[in-house]
Amino acid sequence: MQSRPLILDLPRLALLSLAAFVVLAPYIWMVAVSVKPQDEVFKASLSLIPQKWALVENYGKVLATIPVWTYIVNGLIVCFGILFFQILFAVPAAYALAKLNFRGRELVFGFVMLGLLVPYQTTALPLYLGIHQLGLLNSYTALIAPFTCSVFAIFLFRQFFRAIPDDLINAARIDGMGEFSIVWRVVLPNALPAATAFAIFSVVAHWNDLFWPLIVIQKGDLYTPAMGILAFRSVEAGEDYGALMAAALLVTAPLVLAFLLAQRRFIEGITMTGLKG
Amino acid sequence: MATVAGWGPAFCRWKTPMADVAMQSPAVKAPTVHARTLRGDAGIAWLLTLPAILAYCAMILLPLLAVLALAFTDYEFGARSFHWIGFGNFADMLGDRTFSASIRNTVVYCLFVAPLSIGIALCLAVLIEAGARGRAFWRAVFFLPVVSLTVAMATAWQYLLHPSIGPVNALLRMVGAGTPNWLGSSDWVIVSLGFIGVWENVGFNLVLFLAGLTAIPRELYAASEIDGARSGWSKFWLVTWPMLGPTMLFVIIITMTRSIRVFDTVQTLTQGGPNNASEVLLRTIHQEGFHYFRFGYSAAITLVFLVIVLGLMLIQTRLIDRRVHYG
Amino acid sequence: MSGIVLHDIQKSFGATKVLRGVSLSVTQGEFLSLVGPSGCGKTTLMRIIAGLEAVSSGAVQIAGRDVTALRAADRDVAMVFQNYALYPHLTVRQNIGVPLMMRRLSAAERIPFFGGLLPGVAEKQRTINADVANAAEMLGIGKLVDRKPAQLSGGQRQRVALGRAIVRHPMAFLMDEPLSNLDAALRVTTRSEIVALHRRVGASTVYVTHDQSEAMTMSDRVAVMMDGLILQVGTPEDIYTNPQDLRVAAFIGSPSINMLAAEIDPHGRVTTGSVSIGLGASGHGPAILAIRPEDIAPHATGIAARIEHQEYLGESLLVHARVLDSGEQVICRLPPEKRRHVARGETVHLRPDPAKALLFDGDGRRLGSRVLSLEDAHG
Repeated sequence: MQSRPLILDLPRLALLSLAAFVVLAPYIWMVAVSVKPQDEVFKASLSLIPQKWALVENYGKVLATIPVWTYIVNGLIVCFGILFFQILFAVPAAYALAKLNFRGRELVFGFVMLGLLVPYQTTALPLYLGIHQLGLLNSYTALIAPFTCSVFAIFLFRQFFRAIPDDLINAARIDGMGEFSIVWRVVLPNALPAATAFAIFSVVAHWNDLFWPLIVIQKGDLYTPAMGILAFRSVEAGEDYGALMAAALLVTAPLVLAFLLAQRRFIEGITMTGLKG
Repeated sequence: MATVAGWGPAFCRWKTPMADVAMQSPAVKAPTVHARTLRGDAGIAWLLTLPAILAYCAMILLPLLAVLALAFTDYEFGARSFHWIGFGNFADMLGDRTFSASIRNTVVYCLFVAPLSIGIALCLAVLIEAGARGRAFWRAVFFLPVVSLTVAMATAWQYLLHPSIGPVNALLRMVGAGTPNWLGSSDWVIVSLGFIGVWENVGFNLVLFLAGLTAIPRELYAASEIDGARSGWSKFWLVTWPMLGPTMLFVIIITMTRSIRVFDTVQTLTQGGPNNASEVLLRTIHQEGFHYFRFGYSAAITLVFLVIVLGLMLIQTRLIDRRVHYG
Repeated sequence: MSGIVLHDIQKSFGATKVLRGVSLSVTQGEFLSLVGPSGCGKTTLMRIIAGLEAVSSGAVQIAGRDVTALRAADRDVAMVFQNYALYPHLTVRQNIGVPLMMRRLSAAERIPFFGGLLPGVAEKQRTINADVANAAEMLGIGKLVDRKPAQLSGGQRQRVALGRAIVRHPMAFLMDEPLSNLDAALRVTTRSEIVALHRRVGASTVYVTHDQSEAMTMSDRVAVMMDGLILQVGTPEDIYTNPQDLRVAAFIGSPSINMLAAEIDPHGRVTTGSVSIGLGASGHGPAILAIRPEDIAPHATGIAARIEHQEYLGESLLVHARVLDSGEQVICRLPPEKRRHVARGETVHLRPDPAKALLFDGDGRRLGSRVLSLEDAHG
């Protein structure tokens, strides 16, 4: 599409810029304040550039008080652990629902649809009880297990698998592949866009999750990034906003950086899950 | 020949040529394959779905049934025994001021966040689509809140909205307007949290609308132009709005369910205060269950929460779906 | 002066020049086909006439008015799109009614539900519905008016698109490859229906297609376009028998015209492969002889060629032969009985009919030629 001349485009660009400024405001100030010393923060001026740089103090304080790196690693372990099991369980099930004929298929799919309606928070209480009974509180298992069955993944992959031509699968069968091989060697590689889309969707959702980790984790070294910030806030009962912003920046950075590097993928992921969902 | 027969009746027409090959080179064995019987794929299908089914039962189905049961008991975590109390929990709820505040605040929050984030996202999407300059840039900027850690960004907003040292109030002070305590006064707290909620959701809705807009065939706009639609406004009503129907339905459902599940910002910034002014359903469930350990009561509230979510979805799909075409 | 007149239209998209000076005039009530290979600029030209695209330079006049600066909504043209562009959320009746609604009702009167309460709107709606019903009847879709596009077949959707165009009685019709989405049998029947419709309605029509047989069978005149220029405009017969450019000769006609390297000798005789073909021309040097498959046949004397292949079509026979000297391929169209007279591998002499032969220079421009009397031919 051709661009309109800049003059005519200005009103549109101005409106968008205004909205963009509001959206970016927290980021801008987060960065600015994280390098300001406490006295400057309390001056409540609108200036963004610090007169005295406190980068080392603020970030140093954060890194000394909470093991940021550990939390980020925890976040990665949990998110990718969840993703691994979600795909492991959902893909074969989605294939069976999409391509195989068996009695009870409609019933299973009905349950899948039902699961889509139920937010995970509704099952938190009994799951906590169960995990407690098994003595698995404060463990990666507790963080990962409840999310291993993603009905959304089953639903999404089923839609994609249905579009794969039956002949491709029949050719694989004639070549001697068993159904398990077909799932992982033929079907999934042909639905990679769906897989990446779902991966992004899942990682973003679980990286952000606070409700469940808050319930099952009490030990500091297993905190997820979200809990890490809460922990730092409670330690920092005072108002050292400089350090607070530094902490916030540190734990937000990984996913934001990943997003900026692979924007298209992220947005395609969310869009695709939206259009198929 | 024995190995060939393993192909089963479905492949019997292959038997003859395979048999020849087998006879000519007996040293070559045909690969053994699972016999695909004509009865269907039932066996293997159940095997493939088994892990998912087990996980589903363990993590979703059984816990759901357990919540259903718990809601009618007075179980407290750590208690030796518990009793069935029928609708006792629900009766308690009616008199519980925290609960009524919770429901009220959640509804207000949803009614604030959903229309605003949907409307703003739609406007932004139309604005972005209307030109060619910097589309990827705008998309990325508005989508940032979606990939940012909610707790961290809530903290950033806390600073921005700080009554004495925050830039928002500093700006208001400069222009002589009042400087409310955004997160600390019971009059403003839900609005402030709602504003943060809109900020969080606009990006998500925006990319969905953008996808919906790009899916509209360009030819329809040309046809509408030929038919006499001069202004952007006429084209919006004739082409854009009707064609966005399915997308709009999806966005509304997604936004409502996301708003009703508000928790992170409340837990981080206000913990339900001041004075229950920002208490929301999920937080109440969390508090009752994991602070007061009143599992039975919490389960009852969870049930109410579930009913509201399901009800919302049902109403939306019925109401809107009927008027949405899938042309 | 009515009809459509284009003055030296030029159009560039960035650095690419798509239209390089196109002038054309379509008389009132004429059916003119704009035909050419894909990428030649015909769709762009059509969009310029419609007002969907602005010119880089040049002028467009419709019914005597200069409309170059006007946008599509203000020109009095109707367009049928290749993919029909029907509003999926509206019924057939509403689809056909949109152009009337947009033009006869003001913005306020168009507001759903409330607009209908304004004075006079009900009467306007009635006339709109009557006009829509007429158009639908004319196209044979009167019974389908309450359906939505998704419930119609391809052919029915096309009629709805036509209905939306004719209901306005516009000054000009533009059709952008309307038959390309129909299957072959439907295409043939719809062709004649479109022509009949055009005669009934009587407005100037510009019909864009890449299918030369459509252009030839439907039009009063044909304009052949290539590379952003109109090479020739004329009646179908003109274009077929008297092409002024080799590219026009090659594009029109199926199978394609045969092209043989030829030479004009110093005496003005045309020879190909050292065989004189009874044609005389001025000038001398290399040239290209073009002859239609139906105008060249095996004969006692002529160009020696070996028969490679035959295609029996039922109503005619296509014989593929290769000239022995030059290796050029020639296709002859013969009466079907000749099947038994020609065999694969056989060497025959092909004689082009000098009265129908076309001569072109090295640049593809048409050269004049005359049939030589027997003595002049062999001088």
